[in-house]
Amino acid sequence: MNQDRSESPSRLAFRRLRKNTGAVIAMVVLSVMIIAALAAPFITPFDPSTQILEYSVKPAGFQGTILYKKNPADPETPSIIAVNTWQLRSDTVHYTDPAGEPYSIARTALVGQTSDDFVAHPTFWLGTDRFGRDMFTRLIYGMRVSLSVGLISESIALLIGIILGAIAGYYRGWVDDSIMWLVNVVWSFPTILLVVAFSVLLGKGYWQTFVAIGISSWVDIARIVRGQFFSIREQEYIEATRALGFGSMRTIFRHMLLNATGPIIVLSTAGFATAIIAEASLSFIGLGVQPPTPSWGQMIKDGYGYIALGTNWGMTLFPSIAMAIGVLVLNVFGDGLRDAFDPKTSQR
Amino acid sequence: MIGYVLRKVLYTLLVLAGVVVVTFFIRPPGDPARVLLGQRADSASVAALREQLGLDKPLPYQISAYVSNLGRGDLGRSIATNRPVAETIAERFPATALLALTSIAIATILGILLGVIAAWRPNSWVDTVTMSTSLLGISLPAFVVGLLLVLIFGVGLEWFPISGYIDRGAEHLVLPMITLAIRPLSVIARVTRSSMLDVLGQDYVRTAKAKGLSDVSVFMKHALRNALNPVVTTVSAWFAGLLAGTYFVEFIFNWPGIGLAAFNAIEKLDYPMIQGTVLFTAIIFVTVNTLADILYGFIDPKVRVS
Repeated sequence: MNQDRSESPSRLAFRRLRKNTGAVIAMVVLSVMIIAALAAPFITPFDPSTQILEYSVKPAGFQGTILYKKNPADPETPSIIAVNTWQLRSDTVHYTDPAGEPYSIARTALVGQTSDDFVAHPTFWLGTDRFGRDMFTRLIYGMRVSLSVGLISESIALLIGIILGAIAGYYRGWVDDSIMWLVNVVWSFPTILLVVAFSVLLGKGYWQTFVAIGISSWVDIARIVRGQFFSIREQEYIEATRALGFGSMRTIFRHMLLNATGPIIVLSTAGFATAIIAEASLSFIGLGVQPPTPSWGQMIKDGYGYIALGTNWGMTLFPSIAMAIGVLVLNVFGDGLRDAFDPKTSQR
Repeated sequence: MIGYVLRKVLYTLLVLAGVVVVTFFIRPPGDPARVLLGQRADSASVAALREQLGLDKPLPYQISAYVSNLGRGDLGRSIATNRPVAETIAERFPATALLALTSIAIATILGILLGVIAAWRPNSWVDTVTMSTSLLGISLPAFVVGLLLVLIFGVGLEWFPISGYIDRGAEHLVLPMITLAIRPLSVIARVTRSSMLDVLGQDYVRTAKAKGLSDVSVFMKHALRNALNPVVTTVSAWFAGLLAGTYFVEFIFNWPGIGLAAFNAIEKLDYPMIQGTVLFTAIIFVTVNTLADILYGFIDPKVRVS
């Protein structure tokens, strides 16, 4: 490498970030989570909505025995029969169900040719929920929801926040006053209440949740962009763009916004974590992503009923831990980014 | 000074006007009457409910009616109970206020204490443990903290009751209060630490040390007093946020405050009740922050000018 070459601020920031052990660990955990969420169908043993009612609320580590029965309606997803014992005699499979009742079924009604094809002994590593659905599978699929909420809601928040913040900071005057009024109005509602309010207004569902969280969380971004613009606007290189006759839009987006990248990235990491919490909170109160789509908040709510009974605490604990880890690594990563972009803070 | 206060109050009223308009629009999508009664309801009863809720009038009329009712302290009637929303809020507010005030008190005292301890020897193990625990505290939403506390101290150790109000004994306050306090406590500890470290780097602290003052005296008299400004801002900002946090905590612990009322209202889409509680919370939020701003104006003349 050429030592004389000057490095860009983002490259410098990245180098500082690499030296921060906590942030690197967070980044690794985050990558694992993202990969797991993307590869969910390949790493989970079941479909998230597969119900084995005989196996409802089983503890972590429970091992079951199941037969796969052909499903004429949908050949891709066979029906599942939970069994206690089974035996293949000539062309009939005799089995007892978990309650001990004897049954029999023709082998041809089951999937495949040999017992290797139609019998499985799945282990439910994190147990099952009320409907006998695999908790591990639902946790991974729930992560998909959480990460998409973070990504999409935060993108919406960024879009609104950057545009309004940039306009306010660039044009100032009455434009700034009106935008700041809007900012203050939105800011007057605690974020989670505003999300609840927008959810009532938009209705329940996947996209409604994303939008409700997105349009509730742009205020901080608008403020920071506006603040950055206020200080950047005074600098000579911006004056130079005006002298060169560049249009306002070009100056805003090419020259001013690029210099506010650091704080925006830091804020959006924090916003990502907040969005995950907001979605979980919404699902917890029954708004938000609707069943059967699994979501962490919903899973916690489902397990909540069992807590007072003192049983099946795993149903609450596992999704809680998953969420805590997710939000924690995002916060650690965000802190690392802040220190990397603003070395002053890390020195103290 | 009077000019400053007047400007603040006028601007607050302007913001509140926006808040009222936003609140007005918190209602189920489409035709609220239809949503509330379900798809199978006959059109006569839908029309009756629509008239009862004033939804048959044009929108500008509805807004002006809403605003003039607000002026008389009328927040409408709950659809579920048919009681005035303002009455329910007035009745439930003491429970919420008790929870919020005790939580913020605990969070402030413990948060400042922990922050100072962490700043005493930065990067020592005490600092590391305090800061990582507080990071965890920030990362957990209130309802998760609440459920974990219930699991450990309620169901597991059986130290504290997991549900109910203080009319059945003061110990009912413990778990909800701690649940609500964890997040602000973590934030206050972190802000205090970083503010202390900022101040400790200043010249006048070095001068104080050079004068031969003891460490404790420098720390408590010179540094802490000056480090508290951002902490006060954090506390006042968090107090209002705390009111929103009570929604979840009250639900988990069956604490009969505003939050529990709102929670039940959300399940039934009882939107006048949702509007009322959200508006009430927002008004408290705005009022607390304006008062804090005005207070700053008194303390620090620089604020008045900007």
